Amino acid sequence: MLDKHAFIQSVQRVRIWYGALILVIGVFGVRLFYIQVIQHDHYEAAALSDQLKQYQIPATRGLIEVQNNSSLLPIVLNQELYTLFADPPLVKQPNQVAQKIASIIGGNPSQYAGLMSTKNTQYVVLAKKLSAQQSTAITNLQDPGVGTQGQDYRTYPQGSLASQVLGFVNDDGVGNYGIEQALNKQLSGTPGELKAITDTNGVPLAATKGNIQIAPKNGDNVVLTLNLSMQAQMEQILQKDYQSTKSQGLSAIIIDPNNGQVKAMANYPTYDPSNYQGVTNPALFQNGAVTNAIEPGSTMKIMTTAAALNQGVIQPNTTFFDPAHWVVDGFNITDIEQDGGPRQQSIASILNLSLNTGATWMLMQMGGGQIDAQARNTWYDYLTKHFRIGQPTGIQQGYEQVDPVTPPADNGAGIDLTYAEMSFGQAIQMTPIQVAAADSSVLNGGTYYQPSLVAETVSPSGKVTKTPPKVVERNVVSPKVSQDMIPLMEYVVQQHLASGFGYLNFPSNYMVGGKTGTAQIAQAGGGYSATNYNGTYVGFVGGDKIQYLIVVYNIDPNVPGYAGTYGGQPVFADLAHMLINDSYVTPKTQ
Amino acid sequence: MTYSSSLAMNRSRFSGRNQNSVSFRTQVHALGPVTNTITLIVLACLLGLLYLTQVTKTNAYGFQINSLQQTQSQLQTQYNNLEVASARLQSLNRVETSAVAKNLVSVAPSATVQN
Repeated sequence: MLDKHAFIQSVQRVRIWYGALILVIGVFGVRLFYIQVIQHDHYEAAALSDQLKQYQIPATRGLIEVQNNSSLLPIVLNQELYTLFADPPLVKQPNQVAQKIASIIGGNPSQYAGLMSTKNTQYVVLAKKLSAQQSTAITNLQDPGVGTQGQDYRTYPQGSLASQVLGFVNDDGVGNYGIEQALNKQLSGTPGELKAITDTNGVPLAATKGNIQIAPKNGDNVVLTLNLSMQAQMEQILQKDYQSTKSQGLSAIIIDPNNGQVKAMANYPTYDPSNYQGVTNPALFQNGAVTNAIEPGSTMKIMTTAAALNQGVIQPNTTFFDPAHWVVDGFNITDIEQDGGPRQQSIASILNLSLNTGATWMLMQMGGGQIDAQARNTWYDYLTKHFRIGQPTGIQQGYEQVDPVTPPADNGAGIDLTYAEMSFGQAIQMTPIQVAAADSSVLNGGTYYQPSLVAETVSPSGKVTKTPPKVVERNVVSPKVSQDMIPLMEYVVQQHLASGFGYLNFPSNYMVGGKTGTAQIAQAGGGYSATNYNGTYVGFVGGDKIQYLIVVYNIDPNVPGYAGTYGGQPVFADLAHMLINDSYVTPKTQ
Repeated sequence: MTYSSSLAMNRSRFSGRNQNSVSFRTQVHALGPVTNTITLIVLACLLGLLYLTQVTKTNAYGFQINSLQQTQSQLQTQYNNLEVASARLQSLNRVETSAVAKNLVSVAPSATVQN
C-alpha cells in the first residue's frame, strides 16, 4: 500500500511540474506572441534602424559648353570639393584638434575650437570647399569626431565670363538665374536610391532580400550657342564703355537673325558665379538683356517704319511735309533735335534724324491720315502679333521680363498720345532680347524666330539632341519690306559717319546699318526725367545678307550728347568691327 | 466443393499445424528512430552549411561590388578633375597672360577678307 501511495504522490509531483512547465512555456509563448506579432513593427524598425541604410545617390549635374571655333569648350563643370565637419561630443581636445586643422586649411584655430565646443549638437560645419589634398590630410589626422564629406560644386574656368547668362547653383543643388534656372531639371538629372541591409562598415550585404539600388540618371550637358571669343570681347567692350560713359549699366546682344541663335549676350557690371555668396547687390544676378525692360526710344522707329511699309501706307522713297510738331490730345510732340524746323522730309530722314514727328506721321498714315481707332488697332496688332511685344520670347533664361502693351481702346487717359509716343519708343517697354527678336524678323525677310541660347543637349549616354530654329511667326513683314529696310538703316550709319563719327567707317565689302535711340527715363512718381536718358542702338552687320544683329542698351550714360549716339553707337561700332576683324562676317561677293 | 479443392483446404490446414511447409515472409530492415533523427540533423546541417556558404559567397560579391564602385567613383573624380584642369588651361585669361601671348605683337587689321 505504501508503495502505491508513494507512486501516486510521485505521479502528482510529475503532474505539478508538468503543469508548471506548461505554464512557463505558455508565458513564454504569450510573451513571444506579444513581441513578435503585436510589437513586430516596433522591433523591426529598431533592428532596421541599425542595419538598414537608405541613401539618395545624387545625380551628376550636366556641364555647360560654348562654341570655341569649330570645337566645344566647357565653361561650367563640376568639381568634388569637401566639407569639413565635426561631431562636438566626440572631440575631446578641441584646441589641439583646431590647431592641427588650421595648419592644414588655414583659418582661425580659436574659431574652429569654438565650433567644436558647441553644446547640444552632433554636427557643425567647420569649413567648406576643401581640396582633395586637404581632405586627405585631415582624414589622416584620425581625430575622432572630425571628418570630411565630398560634394560636387560648380567651377568656372573662364571666371565671370557670361555669368549672368549662366546663373549659378546654390548649396542645395538648385539652379538660380540664367540657364541654370531655366534648364535646372534637364541639367540636374534624377537622383538614384540605395536601400540595403549593411554590415557594420555600411557595406551593403548583397544576399539580403529586398535591397534596392537605383542608379542615378545624370543630367544632360547643355551646349550653348554662345561663341567664346565673341562673348569675351563683348564683355571687354561693355566694361570699357561702362567706364568711359560712367553709365548705370550696359547690356548687349549679338544674334543671328536668320535662326535666332544668340552668339553673345552680356551685361556690365557683372559678378563672379564661383563667389555668388559674396554678391551684395542681388540685381547683379539678373541678366539685364532679358530682364531689364525699358522704353527703347527711337530704335522703335525701325518697327514703326516696317509696319507702315508693310501696310503699304508709305513707300521707301515717300516724302512728306514735317510740321516739326504735332498736337495730340493737347500735348505737343516735337523732336529732340529741331533739324531745320518745318520742311519736307523723307523716310530715310525720319530714321537718320530720328524724327518723332515723322514716326507720329507714319502712325497717322496707318489710320488714314490721323491717329484714330484704326491707327491704334493697326499699330497694336503689329506690336503684339507681328513683333510679339508684350509676350515672353521664350529664351532659356530665368526671370524673363514682359511688360504689356497698352490696349488700343480709348481709356480716357490720352490714348492717342500714348500711341503716338509708342511710335517713337516711349510709353512702351521692352527688353533687349525682345528688340533683338522683333528686329531680326524685320530684317531677315519676315520670320520671327524664338531667340535661343541652346544649340544642343547631350544625354549621359551620348545622345545628341539638336535645338532646331523655332519659327514662331511668319510674314511679320513682307520680304520686300525687309529688303527696303536694309538701305534705310545703312543710310543712317553712312550719314553719321559723314557727320564726324569716324569709328563708323567700315570696309565697303560689308553692309552695316543701324539706328540710335535716346529715351527719356520714366520716373517712379510719374513723368520723365529732364536730365537723364537711356541710350540704345540696334544695328546689323553682313555681306550679301545680314549675318548679325546687334542690340545695345546703355542705362543712363553720362555723355556730352545724345545717349543713343554717344552711349549706344560706340558700343555697336566696337562690336561690329570685332565681328568683321575676326572674320565672323562673310563679305559681299560683289 | 470438389475433391481437389477440399484436399487443398485440408493440406493448408495441416501445413500450419505441422510446420513443414516453406515460409515466404518478407525480411524488412528499417532504420531505427535514433538513426533517422541523426540523419535528419546531419542533412539539416549540410543544408544550413550550403546556405551559409552561398550567402557568404554572395556577400563577398557585395564587398567586391562595393570596392569596384569605390574605384569607379575615384576614377570618375580623377576624370572630372582632369577635365577641369584641361578647361582651366584653355581659359582666355590664362591664354592672354601666357608667355606666348606676351610675345605677340598687336597690329591693326591691314585688310579685310575678300571673297
